[in-house]
Amino acid sequence: MNPSNPPQTAEYGGDEVSAIVLDPGYSTTRAGFAGEDAPKSLIPSYYGKYNADGQEKLVFGDDVFVTPRPGLSIHNPIGKDGIVEDWDMAEKVWEYSFTSRLTGAKPGNPFHNGLNDIPSEELPTEMEVESEEKPLADSPLLMTEPGWNPAKAREKTIEIAMEKWGTPAFYLARNGVLAAFASGKASALVIDIGASNISITPVHDGMILKRGVQHSPLGGDYISSQIRALFKKNSPQPITITPHYLISSKTAVEAGQEPQAKYKTFPADKAPDASYRALLEERTLSEFKECVVQVWPGPNKLSAAGPNGVPNEESARSSPGRPFEFPDGYNQMFGVDRFRVVESLFDAKAAIPDPESIFPAPTPAQTLPELIKASLGGVDVDIRPHLLGNVVVTGASSLLYGFTDRLSQELMAQFPGPRVRVSAPGNTAERRFGSWIGGSILASLGTFHQMWISKKEYDEHGANIVEKRCK
Amino acid sequence: MSLASGVTIDDNCLTEFNNFRLSHGKTKYIIFKISDDKKTVVIDKVGHDQDYEVFRTDLENAKDSTGKIAPRYAVYDVEYELAAGEGKRSKIIFISWVPEGVPTLWSMIYASTRENLKNALNLSSSIHADDKSDIEWKTVLKEASGGKA
Repeated sequence: MNPSNPPQTAEYGGDEVSAIVLDPGYSTTRAGFAGEDAPKSLIPSYYGKYNADGQEKLVFGDDVFVTPRPGLSIHNPIGKDGIVEDWDMAEKVWEYSFTSRLTGAKPGNPFHNGLNDIPSEELPTEMEVESEEKPLADSPLLMTEPGWNPAKAREKTIEIAMEKWGTPAFYLARNGVLAAFASGKASALVIDIGASNISITPVHDGMILKRGVQHSPLGGDYISSQIRALFKKNSPQPITITPHYLISSKTAVEAGQEPQAKYKTFPADKAPDASYRALLEERTLSEFKECVVQVWPGPNKLSAAGPNGVPNEESARSSPGRPFEFPDGYNQMFGVDRFRVVESLFDAKAAIPDPESIFPAPTPAQTLPELIKASLGGVDVDIRPHLLGNVVVTGASSLLYGFTDRLSQELMAQFPGPRVRVSAPGNTAERRFGSWIGGSILASLGTFHQMWISKKEYDEHGANIVEKRCK
Repeated sequence: MSLASGVTIDDNCLTEFNNFRLSHGKTKYIIFKISDDKKTVVIDKVGHDQDYEVFRTDLENAKDSTGKIAPRYAVYDVEYELAAGEGKRSKIIFISWVPEGVPTLWSMIYASTRENLKNALNLSSSIHADDKSDIEWKTVLKEASGGKA
C-alpha cells in the first residue's frame, strides 16, 4: 500500500458518523461536530493547577475562571510561538474540549452497572479483559494547525489522536488553507490576527507556500501589554485593573475620580497565584479592546500627517472619546490613547515603552507591513499580484475596530501597482472561528472520506504518514 | 496531496471538454457546477455565442436550485491577435467564479474542489473571480495571452 494514495474505499465508519473538528488556539480551543455552523465547545486553552489534600488537582474549561482557590496557578500547554510545548497537558486540555460537551462520558461496563446481574460463574471471561473504551473510538477527527507547525509536532498530534483517543480516521489541516477556502479562494494571502501571534500565510492552488509563511508575537496578548503600559502612564492617575473576584462592592463615581470600592482580601496562604489574577485581568482587557480600542484607519501612520496636511494625531484627538468602566467602578474617557495601543502593529516606533512588560519592544520586522513584505518576498513574483488581489483576514483580534481599513491603506501604499483587495467576513463568528468552520464543512462532506488517514494506514506506515497525506 | 473536498468530476465533463477543444471555436465556453448532493462536478451549460458578454452574463446570473446567487467554474476559448502582427492564437482559460454573498458552505466546497477540476482539464492559465470586474474581457485576454495580445 502506497501511503501517498488515498484509500479506495471508506475505511472509516461511513457517511453517517459525525466527525469531530478540533481547532486548538493559544487563547481558546474550539471543538464541535462537523456540519454544524459553530463549535459547540469553546474553552480556554489555559488550565489551572492547585494542591488539595496533598494531591495535585487540575482545572479545565471555564471552571478556571470561577474559583480563586488557594495556590491556584494558571498555565498554557502551548508556547508563545503557537506550537505545543507541554504535550501531556495539551492532550488533556484538548480531550476536555470534546469530552466535556461533545462525546460525554462513556457508559460503564454493563456487567457492573447493576442492571445485568448475572451469577459470577456465568460471566463470559473474555469480557473481563475488555480494555477501556477510548474517547474518540467512534468519531473521525479533523484537527487544525498553524502553517509553521514542525514535522515532529504534526507526528505527535496524529499519535495522540490514534493511540490515546482511538480515532478511526484523522486529518490535519493548515488553518491558513481553511480560512482561504472559506472565503471561496484557492489562492490567497491569509492574515491571521490571533492571541499569541500574527501570521501571514500565502496559499496558492490550495497549498501553503512554506517559504512565505511569516509570524510574529504582536497579537492580542501583545496589545494587552500595550494597554497595560498605557494604564501605568494614565493621567489624572495610573489605572490598576482589579478583577471582579477581588471586589465585594462598589459605588458609582464620576469620570476620573478615585474608585469607591470595598475589596476582598486573601491571606497569603489562601490567595491564588499571581497568574490567576493576570488571567482574570485579561478578561477586562478583552472587554476594553472590544469597547474602546480603535485602529487608526489611515491613510498614513498615526504619527504622520494626513492627506490634507493636518497631523493624524490631531484628527484622532478631535474625534469623540470612548468611555470605559473598570470592575472597581473607576471610569474615564479614552481619547487619542485608544489608537496608540495598537499603532505599533503597523509602526514599531509607536510602541508605548514599558520596561516591566514581558514583551520586548517590537522590532520593525515584526510589524504587519514588514511581515507581509517578507512573506511576498518568499514567493514567486508571478503569484504576488494574485495574492494581493485576494487578501483574507481572519482571527479574533482582527475584529479590532478599524483594522481592515488600515490594513487596506497600508497594502495600497506599499504596493501601488497591483490591485489590492482585502476580504474579511463581516460575521463575527466567521472571523473568530474561521478555520473551525472551514474544517466543519469539509469533514461533513461525504466525499471527504478520500482524505482521511485511517487507523489501518497509520498502523501500517507510522506517524510519518501525516507528512505525506496532509500537505 | 493537498487538502481537497474529494468531490469527483463527472466523466461527461471531460467528454464535453474534449469536444469543445476540437470544435475550433464553434463552442466558446462551458460552465460547470457542483451537483446539489455535493458529490460531483457536472456540466451546467455549453455556450456557442461568440459575444463574450453573453458568457459573462451567464456566470453572473448563475443561481442555485432555490434561486440564490451561486458559484461556478468555467472554461473559455480566448481568441486573440498577437500584438506583433504574428497572427491569431487561441487559448483556453479556466475561471472560478465565487461571487460575494455566496454562503460559506458553497464557497468552501468550490474552493476545495477547484484544483481537482483544473488538473483534470489540464489547464494552466486561470482566473479567480469574486466580482464581475474580475472577468472583464481585457483581464481575461491579458491572462490568456500572457500580455502578448
